[in-house]
Amino acid sequence: MKNKIKVFRAMHDLTQEDLAAAIGVTRQTILAIEKGKYVPSLDLAFKISRYFQVNIEEVFQYEEHEVRTIDID
Amino acid sequence: MKKNTYYLLIGCIALILLAIFWYSVEIHNPLVIMSAFVISIVVIHFLRGKVTDLIEDERSRKITEQATVRTFQVFCVTLCAISIGAVMQLLYVPTLPRELHTTKPPEVLGPRLMGYFQLALLCLMIFLYVGFRIYYARKYGEWETDEE
Repeated sequence: MKNKIKVFRAMHDLTQEDLAAAIGVTRQTILAIEKGKYVPSLDLAFKISRYFQVNIEEVFQYEEHEVRTIDID
Repeated sequence: MKKNTYYLLIGCIALILLAIFWYSVEIHNPLVIMSAFVISIVVIHFLRGKVTDLIEDERSRKITEQATVRTFQVFCVTLCAISIGAVMQLLYVPTLPRELHTTKPPEVLGPRLMGYFQLALLCLMIFLYVGFRIYYARKYGEWETDEE
């Protein structure tokens, strides 16, 4: 799951601490989401996107994992 | 209540528990420490609810949850393996002929040995939990640093 939280934060001139305080999580959680270490729940993803007043898909992009197929002759 | 006060109180409770543990050893009554332990857990739970500046979000809950689940999984497998070994001892039947049988029958696990066994299991559980907690905290970016 990719996200543009960092971009939106920059656009709104917000620090990780500000965003974390606004949506009720820790700064480490925002940092972990930004770095792709943690995938947020739907609830938290909606909270973040609503905070920036955009659709969830503008902030979070779902990447489908490549399905490996085996050819059998 | 502030977070630091909460941690200080936990330290005090741990010291009191240690004192009660030695007291229960002195009077040889395990019920004292057992009930004190349960009461202390309830008190800690109550105190945790009073802390105002301790933020517990979904990521920290997930770290705790994953560490607990993995600890119990490994612990259950270990306990099962030991239990199967113990059952084997129960079902031990000397092979014939009886007069040629020279090996001693298995001894029943005494209360002292049982205490050591429980201590080992307790230590295993603590080490497993701490290890898994560190692993999952690292996995979910607990100690990540940023340019900010």
